[in-house]
Amino acid sequence: MGKKVLIIDDSSTMRKIVTRSLRQAGLDFDTILEAGDGVEALQVLQNESVDIILSDINMPNMDGIEFLRQKAGIDAIKAIPVIMITTEAGADILTEAKSLGAAGSIKKPFTPDQVSDIIGPLV
Amino acid sequence: MDWEQHVIDATTEVFSTMLMMEVTPELPRLETIEPFDHSITGMVGMAGQYKGMLAIHACDQVAMAITSNFLGLEVDSLNDDVKDAFGELANMLAGSIKAYLSDNSRDIQLSIPSAVCGQNYSIDFHPHRRSTMVPFTSAEGTFLVELQLEHQS
Amino acid sequence: MDLSAAIIDSTSDVFSTMIPLDAIPGSPITEKMLSFHESITGMLGFSGDIKGMLRLHCPSMVALAITGSLLGMEVEQIDDDVHDAIGELANMVAGGLKVNLAEHNKNIELSIPTAIGGISYTIHGLASAERITIPFALKTGQMLVELEFIRA
Repeated sequence: MGKKVLIIDDSSTMRKIVTRSLRQAGLDFDTILEAGDGVEALQVLQNESVDIILSDINMPNMDGIEFLRQKAGIDAIKAIPVIMITTEAGADILTEAKSLGAAGSIKKPFTPDQVSDIIGPLV
Repeated sequence: MDWEQHVIDATTEVFSTMLMMEVTPELPRLETIEPFDHSITGMVGMAGQYKGMLAIHACDQVAMAITSNFLGLEVDSLNDDVKDAFGELANMLAGSIKAYLSDNSRDIQLSIPSAVCGQNYSIDFHPHRRSTMVPFTSAEGTFLVELQLEHQS
Repeated sequence: MDLSAAIIDSTSDVFSTMIPLDAIPGSPITEKMLSFHESITGMLGFSGDIKGMLRLHCPSMVALAITGSLLGMEVEQIDDDVHDAIGELANMVAGGLKVNLAEHNKNIELSIPTAIGGISYTIHGLASAERITIPFALKTGQMLVELEFIRA
């Protein structure tokens, strides 16, 4: 099918953990792209079309909320679903993420089943 | 984001007022650093609108000399005074940086400080990511002040 | 409220969801001065109604097993991944603790996680602070989850 996912997190280890969870959740993406922050993610999205984006919230340079805001203003990518991955974002931040177009959120720690329940329907 | 100047201002201020020590900032470290050898690290967490961690690292000899100035008494071993002093220094540096970042003191809150010491240990340092590590020289020797910080949405 | 139970619950929750390794909680340890050899400590500070630090101490073998399990691959040496993974584990346990405390009307804010590792180090807390340390037995060794705090 050639599905592509973009994982945005400032920790490369966390990106690996998310990659492992996707695999265990039975979500077989052909291509897994990574970015360390929102700025890098926007650069990646200039050249690559992806099916879904999984994004951390707290990141340097450009955080997950600002990334959502910028992405919403770019016609070519604004329809790509974004799932926020967070440890402790308050309801207010998640509400803001929703209002900026986030398709959902996953709270750490998460099981492969939770990953598959939330991401599965979107890809 | 560039926090370097905050680190320099806070350290210069805390050392000149509390320790009567003149310290000179050197160029920030941009590479990962070697494990600390017979050293001590005082650290404190920062939470709230900005989240982060402030740490001050020094080798045992420099740490004892700094503590002597800080407490106004001779310190010749790495005793509880040195560990408490380094926790407290981290606390004061973070408190001072906190004041530069926000006028409202409730926006950023500090955790309690602690000190790590040992013959050999390393602490994660991510240059180019969200960490600033500035070396300072003084009459007592060199020490490092590290700030990891991120602004919350 | 029972903070020991809260530490056990949030730690066990992270293991049961993300790390398929047995980690069996034991009785709290009362020693205040902790020394570590060939270990990694993930830690983060918190502030609010309770101020303190959460630290998670793992001997290298335990840290390798946990990281391998989190990443879903064999991890044979202590590298940045292991440091990041143990920091992230401390972060997730603290996140669980935050939710648990909020249910008891205590609010805390978390700092960012850091990991320390090395051949030999000790950690020195505040004399005035309370400490609760819960050991968890894993097949590869013992992990300690330590909460040092003062009530605001």
